[in-house]
Amino acid sequence: MLPCCEICHDIREGAPTDDDEAIARSLAGDLAAYEALVTRYSTLAHRTAAMLGAGDEAEDVVQEAFVKAYRHLGTFRRDAPFRPWLLRIVANETHNLTRSRGRRAELVVKLTEADHPGGEVPEDVAVATDRRARLLDAVRTLPERERQAVVCRYFLQLSEAETAQVLDLPVGTVKSRTFRGLARLREEVARDLI
Amino acid sequence: MTSSDDLEAGLLALGESLDVPSPPPADVARAVRERLESPAGADRSPAPARRARGAPRSGARLRGRVVVSAVAVLLALFFGATPVGRAAVVEVLRFAGVELRIGGPGPLPSGVPSPLPGERRVTLEQAREQVTFAISVPSRLGRPSEVRVSDGGRVVSLFWPGVRLDQYDGALQVVFRKELGPPWPQAVNLGVSGQGWWIPARHGLTYLPRGGGEATARARPADPTLIWQRKGVGMRLEGVDDVHEAQRIARSVL
Repeated sequence: MLPCCEICHDIREGAPTDDDEAIARSLAGDLAAYEALVTRYSTLAHRTAAMLGAGDEAEDVVQEAFVKAYRHLGTFRRDAPFRPWLLRIVANETHNLTRSRGRRAELVVKLTEADHPGGEVPEDVAVATDRRARLLDAVRTLPERERQAVVCRYFLQLSEAETAQVLDLPVGTVKSRTFRGLARLREEVARDLI
Repeated sequence: MTSSDDLEAGLLALGESLDVPSPPPADVARAVRERLESPAGADRSPAPARRARGAPRSGARLRGRVVVSAVAVLLALFFGATPVGRAAVVEVLRFAGVELRIGGPGPLPSGVPSPLPGERRVTLEQAREQVTFAISVPSRLGRPSEVRVSDGGRVVSLFWPGVRLDQYDGALQVVFRKELGPPWPQAVNLGVSGQGWWIPARHGLTYLPRGGGEATARARPADPTLIWQRKGVGMRLEGVDDVHEAQRIARSVL
């Protein structure tokens, strides 16, 4: 078995293997390394932009965010995780867009036909789909602050700390907004069940 | 009653079933790279500088001068702003083929200077044959100890001990990018060569290869620099620590 350093060395010849290496190479002017970083985070960035309200302009927002991220890479703290730093820029760009359009940041997403484990009867699938649709509607009608916290925590599956960084809020505020959002959703869901 | 866990699990499942259309990541990466590579790179630059880049085809010299003046005025306005105003923004401005990125005191790039693309050591006479613009030698410095031609004749670098003078073609294209924080550049008068800009502190310097180029652009730390323009040729004098001496050298380019 090869010692670790030799393995690392071998890998380093090709595409960057982790964020830190990709960032180091990007900082040194290696645009191929940055391309790898963009590829790695593109889908998540689009998801974030769309869910925070960029709607059909998510593609523009994401491109702009990646360009800005590259230009500000020098200010990125290398001992910090890259993901929330990038998503913070995406959230910021999205916020600028919705503000410049003077519109509310809508949650523009569609339900997919989710995969269901075999053995379910069509009625159960329909009920489950209906329940999802109602829950999505309930999330859509949350006040924006609570909705963004809920979206980050559950739809984007970010930690509380990451959510705080992405939305530029103290962690305590993320906790309270998430809590209030969940409470409101619980009321809505309960009302539906009556 | 729905328990908290049920609701949270329901939200997670809902999130996973949500469809967010996004283009293939490789396409996004390519588009971003193209934007970063385009000599434009002008996304954040103010309008006058952006126009300056759309290299005019006819009457280029005259219009070029007008545009350069406009950029100079803009720079003057910008640097003349209140300390609060200028410290807050990160701006991109261009002057004499140099793009200045002005912002907070970012970290200096590390690493040793790498040669410019295709850099070759030549004699002064060979250099004069290989480039399309007139090479100037400041009489105050005398004959350079070394001459290098880079990037297919786009840049000529003259060297004296500790001092480097880059001369480059096409002042309407960005040839060098400088990244700096305070202390801010200052306008200096260079007599017949008009106005120049003195960058008093060490800063990051990146050479932007012709046509946008490959991923060869690497920032290196640069010493205090004077930039100016002489008969449409961009000049970048690096390594002279005293602004007055730099001015005297620039003025001695005849």
